[in-house]
Amino acid sequence: MYNHILRCQFMGKKLLLEKAHIEGIRYYETYRKEGGYRSVEKALKTMSPDQVTDEVKKSGLRGRGGAGFPAGLKWSFLAKPEGVPRHLVCNADESEPGTFKDRYLMEFLPHLLIEGLIVSSYALGSHDTYIYIRGEYAWIVDILEQAIAEANQNGWLGKNILGTGFDCNIHVQRGAGAYICGEETALIESLEGKRGNPRIKPPFPAVKGVWDRPTVVNNVETLAAVVPIINDGGEEYAKIGVGKSTGTKLLSACGNINKPGVYEIDMTISVEEFIYSDEYCGGIANGKRLKACIPGGSSVPILPANLLLKTAKGETRLMNYESLSDGGFATGSMMGSGGFIVMDEDQCIVRHTLSLARFYRHESCGQCSPCREGTGWMEKILHNIEYGKGKASDIDLLWDIQRKIEGNTICPLGDAAAWPVAAAIRHFRDEFEWHVQNPKTAQLKNFGLAHYADERTVVA
Amino acid sequence: MIQFSEAQLQEVERIKSRYPEGKHKSALIPVLHIAQETFGGWLSAETMDYVATVLQLEPIEVYEVATFYSMYNLQPVGKFVFEVCQTGPCMLKGSDDIIEYIKQTLGISVGETTADGNFTLKTVECLGACGYAPLMQLGKHYREHLTKESVDALIAECSQLAATGANQ
Repeated sequence: MYNHILRCQFMGKKLLLEKAHIEGIRYYETYRKEGGYRSVEKALKTMSPDQVTDEVKKSGLRGRGGAGFPAGLKWSFLAKPEGVPRHLVCNADESEPGTFKDRYLMEFLPHLLIEGLIVSSYALGSHDTYIYIRGEYAWIVDILEQAIAEANQNGWLGKNILGTGFDCNIHVQRGAGAYICGEETALIESLEGKRGNPRIKPPFPAVKGVWDRPTVVNNVETLAAVVPIINDGGEEYAKIGVGKSTGTKLLSACGNINKPGVYEIDMTISVEEFIYSDEYCGGIANGKRLKACIPGGSSVPILPANLLLKTAKGETRLMNYESLSDGGFATGSMMGSGGFIVMDEDQCIVRHTLSLARFYRHESCGQCSPCREGTGWMEKILHNIEYGKGKASDIDLLWDIQRKIEGNTICPLGDAAAWPVAAAIRHFRDEFEWHVQNPKTAQLKNFGLAHYADERTVVA
Repeated sequence: MIQFSEAQLQEVERIKSRYPEGKHKSALIPVLHIAQETFGGWLSAETMDYVATVLQLEPIEVYEVATFYSMYNLQPVGKFVFEVCQTGPCMLKGSDDIIEYIKQTLGISVGETTADGNFTLKTVECLGACGYAPLMQLGKHYREHLTKESVDALIAECSQLAATGANQ
């Protein structure tokens, strides 16, 4: 028993998935019996909307969609002009390759999201709140709508909730296949029934969002995290984790590992532990060795094994915002959306980069020329290199193109398309060169692990 | 002339009621989903024009949305559409082999429909289920952890359903 308690402390606290395994937790009765909707009672009956926002600020919660912007601060930017309705929009357009955590939350714990949405809507004064979900998650729409109907029947939604005078309805809006709609202004355009072309900012959604009304767009996981923050208080939440990486984070792990899946971590564990412990990824599949990893969704820089497990300074790299970005883009990466993509020694970095380049070309909305033309150009060059038609100058050309996309587009999709190519060349240049110099051999075999897992000379 | 049923028209009204007065254009994407499911699995010009009439929009407003989103089919498709994910994480788990196997088994290329009209093969970008790769979308649901054996079983299952006149 004592050992068990120690072990639980060691494993860290779970705030979101703690009850995910309970039979029937998807449905209202069980969810409520397990203490669900307490945060709604607490917030609506004992707190003012601003007090709720203050707790979220105190918690240090950072947006879980990828950008990591402080959620409470985002809420405080919301304009509140007299007589103009405001809206909270939940971003459930999960599409960043490697990321499937929101799906898990919505599929298994839909009421946790609904609960978080009610409390957040109260804080922001949103009487009509929307969940924008990617079109492919079609069956989850039914799960969410059932949960909303149950919440309605039990008085947690609708008019005069708990007799407090607060009215709130939640609507589910299904998209139709477009990665770009995860960008908040594209999402707003799509919610208005248009193509998902991102808007020029300013004005920011907090001032002029959906139907020109002040709007806050937050990720599913961010809004679910509001529940434990209100239940336990922002300060308690901030005690979990380290530095500015407060609370817990959901990670979706995939690729060549033994145990792909969704894990909740408290951001104090090391990357090595996350990959190799049986609690999480369970090590590299088929007894292979680790070659590389994209730790935060396809847009963030790929790292070779040696830079993934240790920073350039030789310190153990941890699974949190600060440590993953230690070294900047030169030797670090990002926490991003928590999409953790692991590659074993048999994987080809050129081929994988080509696959991602194709993805971004396909998903570019076409508004900005650097992105529209650049993503297609990069895909073509990578295709040539992968299929034995590359030239030595192509590698520098790729570098040049990605530099000219980055920072030159309306929305961050341009950067997201540029970074994977840049990082692949930065860290795996010799693998690209090998493809160009050995076009025939590269059709038959892969470059392999090479030196990518070797101990690096520590740079002070 | 194509026409939604009474129940579907009520559903359209229910969808419109989610948005503020005068903002019914927001209903376009959900209504296009219903139209595609109802009128043969794809959006013909006739279908798009009909949706424009139902929502009181200009036809061009419907066309520009229908051509932007990847889930809308602008060409006729088979009764069962295999939409296989091919993005990075799926590729690491062998999606290329699965796509190749489906091509061989069905005797079609990506984007084509079998002669009997039963199957269409599409490749799609990240379906957001990378931990369950390789996978495909089939109608409303995902079929995950695909192997050659499970693809065989799936084709058999769909062929049987097609013989009874069902579709996805």
